[in-house]
Amino acid sequence: MSRYPHWPIHLALSIASAAMLVPFYWVLKTSLTGENIFTFPPSLLPESPHIFYYVDVWYAIPFLRYLFNSIIVSVIVVVANVVLNAMAGYALTRDFPGKGATILLFLSCMMIPFQVTIIPAYLITSEMGLLNSYVGMALPLASTIVCIFVFKAAFEAIPKSLIDAARIDGVPDWMIVFRIILPLTKPAIATNVILSFIWSWNSFLWPLVIVRDAQMQTLPLGLARFLSVVEDTTGALYAFCVMVLVPGLIIFLLAQKEFITGLTSGATKG
Amino acid sequence: MRKLAIALAAGAATLAMTLHPGSASAQEKKITVMTWNIPYFTEGFDKWVAAFKKVHPDFEVERIDMKGTELPTFYQTQVVAGTPPDIVDVQGGLWLQYASQGGLKNLDPYLERDKDYTDRINPQILDNWKYEGHHYGVPLYISKTLLFLNRNMMKEAGITEDPTSFDEIMADAEKMTGGENTGFMTLNFDWLYWPLFAMNGVEFVGDDGKAAFNTPEAVALVKRLADLTEKGVINKISWTGRWVEPNGAFAAGNVGMLHAHAPAFLWFKSKADWVNDESVGAMNMPGGWSTPNSHSLVLSEGSKWPEEAWDFMKIATSGDGAYAMGTGTNNLTGDMQVNEKLMGYFKENLPAVVPILETQLQDLDKLTGNWPFAQDAAIKDAFYPELQAALLGEKSAEDALSEAERKVNRILQRR
Amino acid sequence: MAGGADNAPALEGRRRGLAGLIPGSRKRSRDLALIWLFLAPSLAIFAIYRIVPLIWNAVLSFQFWSPYKPAEFAGLYHYEEMLFYDDAFWQTLWNTLIFMASAPVGIVFALAVALLVDTNIRGRNVYRTIFFMSYPVMTVAVGIIWQWLFNENVGLINYVLIELGIIDRGIPFLESFDWALPSVILASIWQVIGFYMIILLTGLQSIPPSLYEAAAIDGANALQRFRRITLPLIRPSLFLCFVVGIINSFTAFDLIFVMTGGGPGHATDLLITYIYSIAFRLSKFDYAAAITVVNFLLFLALAFLANRLAGGEAGAVKTGG
Repeated sequence: MSRYPHWPIHLALSIASAAMLVPFYWVLKTSLTGENIFTFPPSLLPESPHIFYYVDVWYAIPFLRYLFNSIIVSVIVVVANVVLNAMAGYALTRDFPGKGATILLFLSCMMIPFQVTIIPAYLITSEMGLLNSYVGMALPLASTIVCIFVFKAAFEAIPKSLIDAARIDGVPDWMIVFRIILPLTKPAIATNVILSFIWSWNSFLWPLVIVRDAQMQTLPLGLARFLSVVEDTTGALYAFCVMVLVPGLIIFLLAQKEFITGLTSGATKG
Repeated sequence: MRKLAIALAAGAATLAMTLHPGSASAQEKKITVMTWNIPYFTEGFDKWVAAFKKVHPDFEVERIDMKGTELPTFYQTQVVAGTPPDIVDVQGGLWLQYASQGGLKNLDPYLERDKDYTDRINPQILDNWKYEGHHYGVPLYISKTLLFLNRNMMKEAGITEDPTSFDEIMADAEKMTGGENTGFMTLNFDWLYWPLFAMNGVEFVGDDGKAAFNTPEAVALVKRLADLTEKGVINKISWTGRWVEPNGAFAAGNVGMLHAHAPAFLWFKSKADWVNDESVGAMNMPGGWSTPNSHSLVLSEGSKWPEEAWDFMKIATSGDGAYAMGTGTNNLTGDMQVNEKLMGYFKENLPAVVPILETQLQDLDKLTGNWPFAQDAAIKDAFYPELQAALLGEKSAEDALSEAERKVNRILQRR
Repeated sequence: MAGGADNAPALEGRRRGLAGLIPGSRKRSRDLALIWLFLAPSLAIFAIYRIVPLIWNAVLSFQFWSPYKPAEFAGLYHYEEMLFYDDAFWQTLWNTLIFMASAPVGIVFALAVALLVDTNIRGRNVYRTIFFMSYPVMTVAVGIIWQWLFNENVGLINYVLIELGIIDRGIPFLESFDWALPSVILASIWQVIGFYMIILLTGLQSIPPSLYEAAAIDGANALQRFRRITLPLIRPSLFLCFVVGIINSFTAFDLIFVMTGGGPGHATDLLITYIYSIAFRLSKFDYAAAITVVNFLLFLALAFLANRLAGGEAGAVKTGG
């Protein structure tokens, strides 16, 4: 590849990156200046930025409480995903009667949109006594199909000889999973962490339905609540958007090294 | 297969055992009140609760506030689960859907029994929540459409008299149009634009219960509106925006007239420095036509404490409770004595809204767009997209109205 | 299905992956129990939150029911209504197909980016990060941001287009029957493109470099190498992208609700937003259930079609050699 000059690639990628980043810049700029609906032409650089809107949001809703709730739910979801998906993903690397049907079932489940499941899911959750609870909010996302397949693929890539050796030494299956396989599948774990975190962090409709207590609201619900207070597109709304998406981005940036290699581990093999 | 079943059962059992925290207590003495998008209304709500607790000291009051887009989802999920909020604040025609399917309590027995309360409520307003001869709601706060005038723009265009007919409105609008300026704009959600049709003699359904709007007069009117929209006399946002967009556009100061309901005023006033009682006029539409968009409290059929809930509803919608509502949200209520007191309060504290609120109690016999259709929302969904397509020039008025007629009639027949 | 007879030497031959080495039926049935035990929690969750609700919908679609009254048998009433009388259903179905058909546009773009960041250029991880960054953003926030970028009077897009002299007046993108759907699709592609890119990058990196070297020695040019080696080998990844693309017409729900609410008319209504409105806004859960069933079958068929095209590698995300 080194035969080609790099600058055209850099040029193309820079332009595309800039296009991808514009919305981020715009929301940040607006959250700092508040100029919008009645300002034309829009100024491209922030004029006299201030953090007033962030302060506004901070006092308008119990931000820390919502943040705390969001974090708890996301932690439950992430832990559950890593454990349950690893188990299911491992099982799917084995041959067993009904494997084809199970994979088929998983794939079909992906085709059922969440919105149509609200009422029965609510009734079942209510039967389990999990309404208005963190676990109840987390449970529907506790195992996700895409992530199971990520684990499955990662397990399949592990050298078989290593496992076989452990088996001959009489190491039980569960120990093989937790002592040998999981450490070798760090990238897949990182992928699970990020994806399940994103999905849980942004989940809106389900918490809306099962949470009654104002103290249990998560950040996306806070956003909706906030929208209804300001009822338009002021700087405060954008400040709130920034405050909601920053934690997600931080988690992503922290885990991204593992994550990017997680989905692209082939590079090291060759 | 057996193993599968055993494994599944084992998994489910483990899950249930680890997660089950013990079931909730049985019948606790509690009523739940769900309000519609007024999370800031807390002081007044606390007053309601205090007054309620004087009558029922052993009861707790739970409050939930939801945005209009989410309230129906939450409410209906709760209804299916058998735990509906006892009292719900609903806007527009939403209650009709629930009432027609037996989801709400008929309030007639309560209203007949508690004459003291009923006498306070304006009967014309109360009848807004009448379906098949029975009342299902009591007014929490009221609003209906009116015409806002941008007096600055009228002055510039040399218009000295307020319009007195549909033709004059459109003629004035045309005079004010030019450059960035448009002459007229209306809100379109629910049936808020219907006064434009009512004042031109178009009826929605006839006495036979079938669609009656596909007439040559209506076609001519739609054509005229589409034509004026094309020319920019009627601002296009009239047919596309919901609430923020049209009111924001009026706040920008380049729209001559805005047909909207009363709460729009304080919203666009908060967005624009130029708005004051000199620069913005308010009048009833010529002929007095208006579409109500009031909020009411309804009582769930599944309520476990209907008597107590009813007491709460009375507190919230009359006397001191209604006064708290009016001052807390800057609206009038269904209680006429309270309204007088509220007008005094507004004259002192918020004089700009007084002329707007005065229109809200006038011409209560000329309300339109408040037909008690069981499938109100479905009819809106069938009718409006067709009308919208015609108004935006996507479809001919003839085609759109006959399509709409066919669809509306189908809904009126179907179960 | 049941254990014993299947436990033949023939099966042993088909075993791969991490399967045990020690044969014997006791060991085998213990293995089986363990496999099902590992699958059980996930299966239980999907049973509760996907399968039972699907069955609920399927049953409901043959009934008259609402939250306020008991169920009555309806036969095919709702299906008849949907297929013969409901224009909006057909329009939303059509919109959904267009929405899904736009996925390849995003996938092709993502593939181009993936190919570029798969080279050994400096800063490739920065580019990868930037391209993925839009995916973690909450969809509601994405909707709010784009709604404003598309604004007729003050939106950045119109401003740029006017400045470049392409148009004279702002286009009301989200209020126009012609532009609304493409605009929503653009926002959706922006959000999901990083996800596509990462999946494709995964596939690209699992291709052994030796294959390219051999082809280069045989005198194949870059285009030939792409068509003969790259494309066939990333088929599983492409399949996963298509599945994500199909599912994206559910996940775009929030986006559409915030940006257009399905309008103007039904111009941006997808099946999922239409189903939701019918159920929760019109309280016609029974009718919504019928559309849900049709929607499910349709998407399942599309997924299997995509699977066929990808060579039957259902869900195989190859992350390594």
